[in-house]
Amino acid sequence: MTSQRLLNLDDVSFAYEADAALSHVTMSIDPGQAVAIIGPNGSGKSTMLKGVLGVIPLVAGEMTVFRPKKGRGQSGRIGYLPQDDDIDSEFPITLKQVVMMGRYRRMGWFRFPGADDRQAVADALEVTGLTSRANARFGTLSGGQQQRGLLARALATKPSLLLLDEPFNALDQPNRDALIETLKDLKSNGVGILLTTHDLELAREVCDSILLVNGTQVAFGPLDEVLTLENLQQAFEGVQVEVDEHKVVIPGHSH
Amino acid sequence: MSFFEILGQAFTLPFMWRAAAVLAGLTLAAGLIGVFVNLRGLEFLSDGLTHAVFPGVAAGFMFAGTSGVLYGAIIAAALATVFLTLVSHRKVTSDAAIAIMLTAMFSIGVIIVSRSHNVSASLEQLLFGHLFTVSPTEVVITLIVCAVAFALILATLRGQIFSSFDVRGAQAAGYRPLALALVLNIAIACVVVAASIAVGNLLVLAVIIVPGAIARMWTRGLGGLFVGAVIFAFVAATIGLLASFTISVGADVSVPGGATVAMVFVIGYLISLAVRAIVPDRSVRGEA
Repeated sequence: MTSQRLLNLDDVSFAYEADAALSHVTMSIDPGQAVAIIGPNGSGKSTMLKGVLGVIPLVAGEMTVFRPKKGRGQSGRIGYLPQDDDIDSEFPITLKQVVMMGRYRRMGWFRFPGADDRQAVADALEVTGLTSRANARFGTLSGGQQQRGLLARALATKPSLLLLDEPFNALDQPNRDALIETLKDLKSNGVGILLTTHDLELAREVCDSILLVNGTQVAFGPLDEVLTLENLQQAFEGVQVEVDEHKVVIPGHSH
Repeated sequence: MSFFEILGQAFTLPFMWRAAAVLAGLTLAAGLIGVFVNLRGLEFLSDGLTHAVFPGVAAGFMFAGTSGVLYGAIIAAALATVFLTLVSHRKVTSDAAIAIMLTAMFSIGVIIVSRSHNVSASLEQLLFGHLFTVSPTEVVITLIVCAVAFALILATLRGQIFSSFDVRGAQAAGYRPLALALVLNIAIACVVVAASIAVGNLLVLAVIIVPGAIARMWTRGLGGLFVGAVIFAFVAATIGLLASFTISVGADVSVPGGATVAMVFVIGYLISLAVRAIVPDRSVRGEA
């Protein structure tokens, strides 16, 4: 399996001026596997995703990211859902054009969108339930729709590895359920998923493993091994944690 | 002479065609690049560039006369572009850095110009352009510089769009934002240099900023944005050129071409703003 491994981190640290640093992470993702990054605010959850993407520099350790083809950028087939607040929502662009961005790297600098590109965009809009809004200006969509639009962009990449920064934020219950189904589908098609979330219940539904962080790695492994009272107390220092059989409540993180 | 006779006469004059050629190249490049200036909020950086180019223009003029203006401008623009790109990439206090550079460079330019014997005439030409007296050589160089700017943006179009929309996402997709920003700033500098001849150093900004700002008011998606900006720039420049000529000839009041063109751009912006305030914005709903 190691040869097919999508992501492998060996005692990796990421750091960059303004962003919270994250250190000593050892974890991996295989095809069809989903990993949730859990930790308090500012614990380096987003840093982890940006580090994998190469946006935040790796300062120690060794990271291997699955490369689709020789000569292509390593992130050519990584889909990334950024947090909404990184986006210029005043931008004059339609939803469909945003989703098409997910195809840019496949198209290269000059080729016009082909039938396969348009199909991938249509599919991504369908899956995220946004087909009817395809021609709307992106900035006029609701917060939840914008987030699903950006997810559609990540899906249009037809990624092998999907990185999602707080994908459940700004989603109402039906859309949360729909996203969970979408992610399960992707997993069964061999896509690896790495997501950050505050919601342990959602993590439990979608993910196989948990990476618990608090500026540094607290624990990594299968859900039930990682989600122990001791680990959670270590990660959420100063925050009251209750572990009630399968339900874990973390007060102050009601996203 | 009637209005139309004067207008007809305009097309028989070689200098009018030279002016038209310069403006055509300029508006095509400025329309495209202005969209990105608008999208990325680079108005102040563009302003910084125009002022930074001024000492180059002045030095070029002093050493080699009118023909030296372009070369001086190109050298100054290249230096300023690299400096501004690096400074603005660091984000922190980039406005202050731009403002300091802007004033420093402009004072250097004024000092250089004041050393020249024919101070007022040269200064006026440098600041406000000489649209009706561009030489054939200047036409060619202007068109080449505009073509370079246009090609730079066209070649990096997808990356420019992506990193304007969300820079992190673009970086994640494998684009290099710093390289893209440098290419964009070089293109802006090219337009500034090219426009210095036609509309002058001080009026360049109107040509760069107005088309993108207007197009943004009216479009929902990317396609209309680029096409709209280029078409507006071209039409406004043509109107400005012909208005300046007909007023100068018909009313016998000498009106400078560059300033008239810039004025038409600004009037176009004001009209667009007023109409936008009255007409409900259907584009935002997008139920097409």
